[in-house]
Amino acid sequence: MPLLGFIFRRVLQTIPTIAFILVVTFILVRLLPGDPASAMLGDRAIDADVQRINAKLGLDQPIPMQFLYFTKAVFTGDLGNSIGLKLPVIELIAHRLPVTLMLTGMAALIALLMAVPLSFVAALNRGGAPDTIIRGTFQIGLSMPVFYVGLVLLTVFAAKLRWFPVGGYGENFLDDLYHLFLPAMTLALSLSAVLMRNLRAAIIGVVGADYVDFARAKGLRARVIMTRHVLRNALISTVTLFGLSIGTLLGGAVITETVFAIPGAGRLMIEAIYGRDYPVIQGLTIALALLVSFTFLLTDIVQAWLDPRVAR
Amino acid sequence: MNMLVKAALSAALLVGTSYGALAVERGGTLKYGRYADSLFLDPVLNDANVDIWVLSNLYDTLILPTDDGKGLKPGLATDWKVSDDGLTVTLTLRDGIKFSDGSPITPADVQWSLKRAADPKKGIWGFLVGSIQDVSTEGDHTVIIKLKNTDPAILAALTVFNTAILPMKAFEASEGTTDEEKAKSFSAHPISSGPFVLQSWDHGQSMKLTRNENYWAKGEDGKPLPYLDGIDFEVIPDDATRILKLQSGEIDGAEFIPYARVDELKHADGIDMKLYPSTRVQYITMNVRPKIGDKDNPLSNEKVRQAMNYATNKEAIIQVVTHGVGSQMTSFMSSATPLHKGDKPLYPYDLDKAKQLMKDAGFENGFQTSLLVLAGNQDEIGIATALQQMWGQIGIKLDLQQVDNPSRTQQYRDGTFTMREAAWTDDIADPNEIASYFVYSPTIGALHSGWKSDEADKLFEASQKEIDAAKRADQYAKMQDIYNSSGPIVPLYETPYPVALSKKVQGFVQIPLGNNIFGAAWLQK
Repeated sequence: MPLLGFIFRRVLQTIPTIAFILVVTFILVRLLPGDPASAMLGDRAIDADVQRINAKLGLDQPIPMQFLYFTKAVFTGDLGNSIGLKLPVIELIAHRLPVTLMLTGMAALIALLMAVPLSFVAALNRGGAPDTIIRGTFQIGLSMPVFYVGLVLLTVFAAKLRWFPVGGYGENFLDDLYHLFLPAMTLALSLSAVLMRNLRAAIIGVVGADYVDFARAKGLRARVIMTRHVLRNALISTVTLFGLSIGTLLGGAVITETVFAIPGAGRLMIEAIYGRDYPVIQGLTIALALLVSFTFLLTDIVQAWLDPRVAR
Repeated sequence: MNMLVKAALSAALLVGTSYGALAVERGGTLKYGRYADSLFLDPVLNDANVDIWVLSNLYDTLILPTDDGKGLKPGLATDWKVSDDGLTVTLTLRDGIKFSDGSPITPADVQWSLKRAADPKKGIWGFLVGSIQDVSTEGDHTVIIKLKNTDPAILAALTVFNTAILPMKAFEASEGTTDEEKAKSFSAHPISSGPFVLQSWDHGQSMKLTRNENYWAKGEDGKPLPYLDGIDFEVIPDDATRILKLQSGEIDGAEFIPYARVDELKHADGIDMKLYPSTRVQYITMNVRPKIGDKDNPLSNEKVRQAMNYATNKEAIIQVVTHGVGSQMTSFMSSATPLHKGDKPLYPYDLDKAKQLMKDAGFENGFQTSLLVLAGNQDEIGIATALQQMWGQIGIKLDLQQVDNPSRTQQYRDGTFTMREAAWTDDIADPNEIASYFVYSPTIGALHSGWKSDEADKLFEASQKEIDAAKRADQYAKMQDIYNSSGPIVPLYETPYPVALSKKVQGFVQIPLGNNIFGAAWLQK
């Protein structure tokens, strides 16, 4: 069972990664100029109030001590309370992260649904009109900043045509999907452009390979050749790229969530950084690091399944 | 259609709308787009405008501010009297007032709420009622406040959010051992004394308020306020999205409209672009210590500061940054602040005078200095680049340092900044708050600038106890003269609050202190 052993090794590798990210985040946020009490109280704060609040938060202690308390709490599953919102960090993450997951998940799905068929069309018509049109269109999508694409989509499809709501979030699952369509589309446009370019090139490479000629010579049907031989082999590098893009997608979600007024984890992170809300920054970093590590793990597993040589 | 018919039609329309404005309509939920969500809705323990500016819809104070933000009108108290010696305030509570759960609002609730507000260990607003020594009750309707010293601003302080009345028993019975823990659990299921009650709160997304069925105030139709069934606050951080949502009819109001969009929205269909008078002033704070770090600081020279003030073309900045929405400052405090003095813009643009002052100060060839700018903030970047060019003309080379807010606050508080941009709004209808921060050095060292005037400090201390209105006005006039001529700031402009409303929205007001008052707002069907 080389695959199971491979998965086990990969999971073990994730642990030091997460621990390292945790230590770095913990120290970095404390090295940033400014402290939670000043950020919270603003320009008018008087020294006595700042000291009182920082002492209450335990921030007057040396950083190693703070880290000790923090690690101890993390192992008991306690990520502390948000300084600004005064709510448990776990609760905040449980509330906001699913929104971001749904947004990025939807974006990834839309991106795949656009990229896979279109790259086939483009690759098989290499240099022809469909290829040029598809590549040209995606090039535009790739070169426009996310917030701009978002605003254009909002103005056209929400404000003018009224097909979709102007940002915000839904009241139930279906309503959420409806609200998330435009923002997911915004994120999907740039991702699918990246995927498409890669997949198109891979398909062109594979189509010319000897084993595809051989399959054809055996008299296999075109559909079988395409799915079993071409797509499977062409996908290997695209899967890696797709996995790596999830991190970028989460980064893009920060901007998208602001433009579309979506209460997701990205916006929470930005607000926490501006507010020097250490517990929220730390908690979210752990959650996001776990998430990205998990995605990489999945990517590796899929890759190992597509290409058994990887697991050896 | 000929001209006559058109004229008749528009006249009929005009009459129609003005009649419409008279007949109040009840019901409906007003959807209001905010740039950021509230954090903690406790009147005493909050510390941000996002909380302060909505609190008055949930909790009433004994006295209420008038819509112009300067006067007083009865709230939970119908009558108040300050004794001749100025050391006692006697308030009479309104008959039959109730909290949203139907329980009566008693003098004991008032006593407890005021004492909590005045406790310096609770929250950061205690200084506004720092003169309160003790609060006692008498019978069912009377509350007596004893003062440590005479306090000319005590009545204005009783209109401020931190003196709002909360139900003592329910608060004390809330889960938790400390005041903060209790406040946390109480504010999750609060009981209101104001026109609305918190119904639900989805942090970062929306906050829903419903009408308080037990609210005391009556509307124009003789029935209890509020007119609305409820308010939905939606958090929409992006300016452009907030405006699009208003234009598509998904919300009825949007706050903090960027100045660049004000003119466009004034001419947009179905939108009522409001510019509510405010106490907001925008200025540059200068560090005037003789040395910053180990470097000599030219800004410590009063003539240099005056030169920079004269070299600043405020009208140009108002046009570029606020698109003409702002106006020039006539004192360091806004013209909407009580006891404001000044009818001419400060330091009218005069390049020759500025050059002469630089020469007199011994800086004919200028110097190099720096300004902290809030990263990503278009207004601040606009002001900074304008100043860079304007001050360049008197030989000052200005480095712009973009930083985020906490980093800036740190340098500011440490006194290591050179110059920064800043804005201020009053929280109380009295000049004592702004003067204590800007002028009076013991508070925060005159905006952490290191500036100090013994005379101004003495004037401020005297004015804090002066109950003769004319004498106090005179003290404030002198304080403003001193600060405006030698102070550590470059006044830039004052701006109103730009709020865009759907034409259906009536009776809403944002008062100069920033409070959004929905109590008498209604929706035209």
